Amino acid sequence: MSDVLGALMGPGAFFDDHTFRMAFFGTAVIGLVAGALGSFAYLRKQSLISDVISHSALPGTLGAFLLAVVVLEVDGRNMAVLMLGAVVAGTLAVGLAQYVTRATKLSIDAAMAITLSLFFGAGMLLMRIISNGAYPGKGGIQDYLFGNASVITKADLIASISVGTAALVLMVVFWKEITLRTFDPDHSTVLGFHARAIDALMFITIVIAIVIGVKAVGLVLMVAFVVTPPSAARQWTRTLPAMVVLSGIIGGLGSGLGAYLSIAVGGVPTGPLIVLTLFAFLVLSLLLAPGRSLITRARGRTRHRRILLRQLVAEREAHIEPQGSTTLPGAGQS
Amino acid sequence: MIACQTSGLSVAYHTEPVLRNVDFSVSAGAVMGIVGPNGAGKSTLIKAMLGLVTPLTGTSEFFGQSLSRVRQRVGYMPQFTSVDWDFPTTVRDVVLMGTYGRLGWLRRPGRAEKETAATAMAQTGITDLARRQIGELSGGQRQRVFLARALAQEPDLFFMDEPFQGIDAKSQRAIVSVLHRLRQAGKTVVIVHHDLATVQDFCTHVTLLNQTVVSCGPVDEAFTSEHLRHAYRVGDTEQGFFEPDNSRGPRVEVAP
Repeated sequence: MSDVLGALMGPGAFFDDHTFRMAFFGTAVIGLVAGALGSFAYLRKQSLISDVISHSALPGTLGAFLLAVVVLEVDGRNMAVLMLGAVVAGTLAVGLAQYVTRATKLSIDAAMAITLSLFFGAGMLLMRIISNGAYPGKGGIQDYLFGNASVITKADLIASISVGTAALVLMVVFWKEITLRTFDPDHSTVLGFHARAIDALMFITIVIAIVIGVKAVGLVLMVAFVVTPPSAARQWTRTLPAMVVLSGIIGGLGSGLGAYLSIAVGGVPTGPLIVLTLFAFLVLSLLLAPGRSLITRARGRTRHRRILLRQLVAEREAHIEPQGSTTLPGAGQS
Repeated sequence: MIACQTSGLSVAYHTEPVLRNVDFSVSAGAVMGIVGPNGAGKSTLIKAMLGLVTPLTGTSEFFGQSLSRVRQRVGYMPQFTSVDWDFPTTVRDVVLMGTYGRLGWLRRPGRAEKETAATAMAQTGITDLARRQIGELSGGQRQRVFLARALAQEPDLFFMDEPFQGIDAKSQRAIVSVLHRLRQAGKTVVIVHHDLATVQDFCTHVTLLNQTVVSCGPVDEAFTSEHLRHAYRVGDTEQGFFEPDNSRGPRVEVAP
């Protein structure tokens, strides 16, 4: 045991290394933004929309890459171009899923699954086209599938921070409208707020949160960054502002911690370890959070049932006492 | 003065018609009960008028204008089952949402809005619950939260969808007393209601609905045994069906 602990890298050595620092802060920013904004997808009961978005980011990013290299003849690794492509594709995918739900008899879960696989299929096709062709700067495109936190550069980090901040600012500016529609969509419409406008705003912020994470985390695991922190935060909080803040903190801390552990242990991929860390946060929250804890609720239920049983036995005894009978069959068991 | 009216309103879910050519109007100051059996299209009528369901045909007017011009004068209290009561928010915050319409985009609620919300909570007797998380409320308390939210909007015309569903006696009294106060203040109320026995307690007017309008008018004219049997498709000879008690005259004063 002490060998394992001894092999762990201390925080000092960790933060001295530029790559490690970038991995830590890069994933922490992704976790914070995705955690905070994921709260709204969670409360709309559309957490899986994040999976649709992350999968559609693949054709978006690769399409933008091809467009940049072949048509515009600029550097295909330009972050702004790639992010823009992913945002456009992600927004289209969300719009398509919602349109299919509105226009057909398909339910939202089927619509999301169809959209997800459609965009992902297109993305895999583009990936094959790119890897077969001689395009400059195509190295690292496979990172979008499973992610690679060790390739986060300072420019990437700055891009994540600025775009993520923009998404959080949108959330704060339109807080009132987004909250109103998330809680009671019909009421928001009757009060005169344009439903599609609010939805567009809300989903664009979620798209941004996901797009900044795909390269470092991978599109397959990105959903955990959007779903797990809000699920954990919900257990501890009673108001929406508290939930969003705590979800952001859990997302940021969990991601940073997961990145640190993956590097400190060595040879373990970052994305998966972050997902496991976030999951640990969720399990602790489900077990320990006051009021909603699985443990205290189960205990409370047992206690209430025991009290009820005692009352029933007492009532029954009081009722049949004149006949001299004593106990209810099976009353001794609990 | 007509508070709201709709003409030729038809709604279909997919191909199944729910409402057929409904003509409906409510004069200002009335408490109009919309009564009919399950599946009669009572909630759909309200939702179609408010633009929450798109009608096949028909138009609706509020105070002689289209809804988009007078939205702030029209309040809506949906069925309390229409939202997720596990949503992380407090009673006070939900009631405050009633003021969001008049604030419009971007403006945040200030002191005036908070005072309005506090008054609405006092009127419905939920001031003590202000800090509660909405999931901790009973059915009746939830209805009162929704009523307070509608009051906080300060509209002239209220649409209420089954406000007495699943509630305790105390909440029922609180809601009835608000209804009486609204009527005294000259407000108009359109209320979907399913309990025939209490219709005459607070409605001045009744619309009997079963996909089409069976009758519409003051209680003593529209809420008759004959119309009720028609609306509920009960034969004339069947015994034991509800008989409205019109012998004492209307229990609520009908606005002129």
